[in-house]
Amino acid sequence: MVKPTKQDRRRFIKSAIGTASALALAKMAPAWAYPLGRSYGEVINGENVVDLHIRRENLNIAGRSGRPITINGSMPGPLIRLKEGQRARLHVSNALDEATSIHWHGIILPENMDGVPGVSFPGIKPGETFEYEYDVQQNGTYWYHSHSGLQEQLGHLGPLVIDPADGDIGADREHVIILSDWTFEDPDEVFRNLTVAEGYYNYQQRTLSDTLNDINQQGLAKTWQERSMWNRMRMSARDLLDVTGSTYTYLMNGRDNSSNWSALYKPGEKIRLRIINGSAMSFFDFRIPGLEMTVVSADGQPIEPVTIDEFRIGVAETYDVIVTPKGDRPYTLFAESMDRSGYVRGTLATELGQEAAIPELRTIPERGMAAMGMSHEMDGMDMSSSDGADPGNDTNHDMHEGHAGNMDMGEQQRPSAPDLGIEHAPGGHGPGAAMIARNPVSRLNEPGVGLEDVDHRVLVYGDLIGAHPWPDERQPEREIELHLTGNMEKYMWSFDGVKYTEVDGPVEFNHGERLRLIMVNDTMMDHPIHLHGMWMELENGQYPRPRKHTISLKPSEVVSLQISADAPGSWAFHCHLIYHMKAGMFRVVRVS
Amino acid sequence: MRNLKIMLVLVLVKVSTPTFADHAEDHWLEPIKPYRTGMVLFDRLELTRTDNNDNLIVWDMLAWYGSDTNRVYFKSEGKNQQNDGEPTELESTEVLASRLIAPFWEIQGGAGLRGSLASGSERENYLVFSLFGMAPYRFEMDNSITINEDGDVAASVEAEYDIRLSQVTYLQPRLEVTAGLTDAEKYDRPSGFNDVRIGLRYRYEISREFAPYIGVYWSRALGQKADLITDEGGDEFETGVVAGVRMWF
Repeated sequence: MVKPTKQDRRRFIKSAIGTASALALAKMAPAWAYPLGRSYGEVINGENVVDLHIRRENLNIAGRSGRPITINGSMPGPLIRLKEGQRARLHVSNALDEATSIHWHGIILPENMDGVPGVSFPGIKPGETFEYEYDVQQNGTYWYHSHSGLQEQLGHLGPLVIDPADGDIGADREHVIILSDWTFEDPDEVFRNLTVAEGYYNYQQRTLSDTLNDINQQGLAKTWQERSMWNRMRMSARDLLDVTGSTYTYLMNGRDNSSNWSALYKPGEKIRLRIINGSAMSFFDFRIPGLEMTVVSADGQPIEPVTIDEFRIGVAETYDVIVTPKGDRPYTLFAESMDRSGYVRGTLATELGQEAAIPELRTIPERGMAAMGMSHEMDGMDMSSSDGADPGNDTNHDMHEGHAGNMDMGEQQRPSAPDLGIEHAPGGHGPGAAMIARNPVSRLNEPGVGLEDVDHRVLVYGDLIGAHPWPDERQPEREIELHLTGNMEKYMWSFDGVKYTEVDGPVEFNHGERLRLIMVNDTMMDHPIHLHGMWMELENGQYPRPRKHTISLKPSEVVSLQISADAPGSWAFHCHLIYHMKAGMFRVVRVS
Repeated sequence: MRNLKIMLVLVLVKVSTPTFADHAEDHWLEPIKPYRTGMVLFDRLELTRTDNNDNLIVWDMLAWYGSDTNRVYFKSEGKNQQNDGEPTELESTEVLASRLIAPFWEIQGGAGLRGSLASGSERENYLVFSLFGMAPYRFEMDNSITINEDGDVAASVEAEYDIRLSQVTYLQPRLEVTAGLTDAEKYDRPSGFNDVRIGLRYRYEISREFAPYIGVYWSRALGQKADLITDEGGDEFETGVVAGVRMWF
């Protein structure tokens, strides 16, 4: 690995910023998003105490005046750079007129430093300063964000990068890319719109002409069969994201498409891109047309390198990729929202002001049979029409036996995940769950809705192989099963049909135990599920297993995860779609 | 009315019961709080011109407040014929307590009022039970049974369906059927089917909250009610055109 010498770097900086336009651009973006990446140092280095000031202030966003929450004057907040092995000291001062918090997403730390008001601490009141302090025991790409109300939607978030103890980033240069979704609407208003008017933000619904086209192309019988199935269920095949580009401006490092965030490179360099999805509600498909990417880390944790052309990044996930641009041409960094209602682009270029072709948005995908848990049969969506069934009592699922943990790694590139044989208790999950997946299956080897038929390599969870085994090699002693449930019509989201405000207690983990968490997605949406305080090792059939802090479940999917319950205390466990969390898709896990 | 009050009190008690969660210390705020909201929806607010050249203002609205499972509803439907010197006619005005019993269905109960708004005129008080929600194939439905002080029982079914022509335009067929289960001569509701009304509206959403429309309807009196009307020399059929707005806030 060649690192540029100091002189090289200086010359490069000079040539790059030696124009007025470059300086003007630099003023709009957060300092850390300055395009020279790591070779230019306006980040907060966390060796000493880091002071963070939370404010609400007017800021130019995408050419309009917005009123985001800023951290040290920028939105997203500053890049905080820590080093593995150090003690982090982060002092957060609240200049808002309401309580706030910062959660360090993906960081292993003591319970009282996790930053979830009501779970790990009481929150930071207006005018107060909270001093976070913890030992940094890991490295990689993470982020931080408010865990108070809907503040994250107002831009209360930022990137957090931890350098490895040996300082080796595995590349000549690096850039941090944090994606977010900004709305000029009040987040509380967005939530109300979702709760009182289903499909409020969805301007991509099927229309009569789609149905007529289908009849033309596939005949009346098949069209009738498909349409009647969806309509009988009262669901929409185009229900991909709840909040869409109709209100969102997608941002890359705080910049919209017109201001074109640019990352600079020098020909021949290996560049590490640290991509973070800091959105409130948006899944993105990320690609760099003309450039393949080698994924080396998922959720901050190293994986065996896998070379792909595109990956889907769920809300709150992070991926590190290595790219080696050929020649000296510019490349578009393209993040397309999963529902194709919008995108944000930036440019990887050798000089500021360069642009490359921007791909067109692809056609709006539709959810298929698999979303309904019906890959094998046409009819038989199991409607939960349980009047008065007790929605809280859902632990007696008939579980088939588990499986052997370690798979042998032979020729097979993507071994299949264990068949968990989920069966639902009769009666479903009550009125809070509009469906149950009758036949939940592992979908770890599927790229996801809209990416099934692309003609290049797309990352799937089945590709992820941990770079090395994790310390706890015990077999799980116990299994916990949780179902992701929802009712889009009423905007109810929950686990096992019970909202957080209705549960009678935490999910109990025994301290020191090794357990298997099985999750079944009984909804028609993708959900990024985040466990605080502990890693989840994804049982994708690979060994070593990849470990994740956030795992996205596709509709009607079942996944299993191994967890070492090694962090005593109360931890949040929730869907990271912010409005799902607010609606009640949230639990507390207590390790004791 | 007393039943209604009791029901409302029960609902409000249920709605405001504090929930206990599982955070580490009891004096901390909950990480996720119970959420309540409400809305006012004028599903139809329209000018109607009948085939008898009468002009009417017609409304059909509801308002609710509450959580996702427990709500209080106010529903009102009525009309005012222009320039006939008659007061406004309330087809129904109801206050209901509502509970979500299945993913797409709410069961509602409450009290209502029908009749002319003229002072001194006799109005009909009644109890009402409704099954309100969305049927398979996405039919929006409000099915009610009412029973008045004289013990007269009546039933009504309302169904609407949105055919999406584009992302902001809709064609909406609408069906309304009313029936008397007992004879209510005082209120011109003989037993058997009373009326059927079919409508078709074309709606354009300027925003999700504000959507003007135009449409037509056809209605006919049925059974004994039709006989009563023809006996009096009336017309058992009525057609009309409408122009109005669907709006909510």
